[in-house]
Amino acid sequence: MSNRTWRWYLSRILLHGLLMTLAVIFMFPFVWSLLTSLKTMPELLRPMPSGSVGEVVRYLIPKHWRWENYQQVFDTVPFGRFYVNTILVTIARTIGGVLIASLAGFAFAQLRFMGRDVIFFILLAGLMVPDQVLIVPRYILMREFKWLDTYQGLIVPLLFSAFGAFLLRQFFLGIPRDFFEAAQIEGASPFRIYRDIYLPLAGPALSAFGFLTFLWSWNEFLWALTITNSTDMRVLSVGIALFQGQYNTNTAVMLAAANLATIPLLILFLFFQKQLVEGIALTGVKG
Amino acid sequence: MEAQSTYTTGKKRNSLAASELRWGYGLIAPMMIGFAIFFLIALGASLILSFTKWDLLNPPVFNGLDNYRKVFGDSKFRTALFNTFAIAVPNVILRIGTAMGLAVALNSKIAFRTFYRVIFFLPVLTMPVATATIWKWVFDPKYGPVNGFLRQAGVEGPSWLFHQNTAIFAVVVVLLWSGVGYDMIIFLAGLQAIPRDYYEASSLDGASGWQQFRDITVPLLTPTTFFLSVIAVIASLQVFDLVYVMTRLDTSNRLPTLVYYIYNLGFEQGQMGYAIAVAWVLLVLILGFTFVQFRMQRRWVHYQ
Repeated sequence: MSNRTWRWYLSRILLHGLLMTLAVIFMFPFVWSLLTSLKTMPELLRPMPSGSVGEVVRYLIPKHWRWENYQQVFDTVPFGRFYVNTILVTIARTIGGVLIASLAGFAFAQLRFMGRDVIFFILLAGLMVPDQVLIVPRYILMREFKWLDTYQGLIVPLLFSAFGAFLLRQFFLGIPRDFFEAAQIEGASPFRIYRDIYLPLAGPALSAFGFLTFLWSWNEFLWALTITNSTDMRVLSVGIALFQGQYNTNTAVMLAAANLATIPLLILFLFFQKQLVEGIALTGVKG
Repeated sequence: MEAQSTYTTGKKRNSLAASELRWGYGLIAPMMIGFAIFFLIALGASLILSFTKWDLLNPPVFNGLDNYRKVFGDSKFRTALFNTFAIAVPNVILRIGTAMGLAVALNSKIAFRTFYRVIFFLPVLTMPVATATIWKWVFDPKYGPVNGFLRQAGVEGPSWLFHQNTAIFAVVVVLLWSGVGYDMIIFLAGLQAIPRDYYEASSLDGASGWQQFRDITVPLLTPTTFFLSVIAVIASLQVFDLVYVMTRLDTSNRLPTLVYYIYNLGFEQGQMGYAIAVAWVLLVLILGFTFVQFRMQRRWVHYQ
């Protein structure tokens, strides 16, 4: 405790001052968006007064909390439908993506078969190629499959995560092969060994990858914009983006839509905070 | 008797190896079939189509190297390239610098550190389209708070998103806001891996906090810094949703970046062949920068 001199206190105060200022700046867009989304039209059309702090605070807080703005999001566009689409597509991509990546990750890490490392290397090389190069051929493929503007089209092409296979392979490599060999001598098939022994051990890695997939899928924009055409098939990201181009809606309703798209993820994050943070740290370190 | 049992275990081992081979292919099959269709075939088709003139409706017509030749004379491509780099360079530097500072500050036993971490991380979770929607109005020249606060200071702010330079600045700010939390988490993980003894030993030698930061933290974090800068370069060369929403007020005010330009050429102007060729130029740029970063790694990255 000898180092707690006045200099220690001074540096702590300065550090907290700096961090607090940054935290306020970081939170400001969220707070501003929440408050502004509840304003009425005349209030929206009033620029910020240049006066005392009290005046600015009074300006930021709506006089009449107009919750109808949130109702109006659902009245202007089929926002409920966008929600359902986003949830469906995100759940399907997450479950399918985790399943496919974990099967491959397990096989690449624990099974011995000819060509394994070459195949894995080709898969990894795929991580370097940006989606933009592939988007047109994928679009044409979807057109050939007659999958344009369908759920299959939204879900299937994005189920195969080379990144996921890589991440889970790294995790499965950490589990000794003795488990595998012992169970194999007992007569268990590799699939049963995967399902009954390795999968339960991989809980933390699976949930981290699952959450990352969920987050990425919920926010995904480019593919959903390309592949869907009818209003009924839009997901939240595309719905909100196009909504701004097409309708002369007021700022409050736009912001209400943006908030509605973000809030579920923030709530989910509060539940899965630990897994997500560990997952990102894991992928970052191993990546 | 002994020979007999060796024979059976040998046979058993062979059949186990054969079964492992079959299962190996079987378990990677879902991933590899999808990868073959949506990646390998798509990549091959993409390369071939980049040598064609194609409007999506009529069959593609082979036109040799025309698309690639056109790229170099295309002033819109040059603008998009310029914008992309004008966003990418400050973005990479600011993100990594800020994130490292935050991570070091929040790795110490400081009060409210979980609170701070959560605050800086929340923007990472926000849908980029929603982020862009919010910030578009934050930067609104008349009603937005940025110009509101500037007016407090007696400055009349510009129409941020309507001019190339100020729009680039705005996009860099938003990318910093939405990305720094992710880098911070990875730096925090990197910091955990630095042995505490190093700090204790240097404390005994009388090193100041700043000296420790410069001589221990920064060098030992270089693998993480390297990883993050590779990721940040790749990601910031591909900025799309933000510009699409933030600067899409009308055609003349768009801020085209490379990916925006590819999307615009292909799906809005129907010049598919050319769009794909531009995408290949982007691919070459990304591979080139990643390669250079890996080559330069030796000069500044210290692996323990």
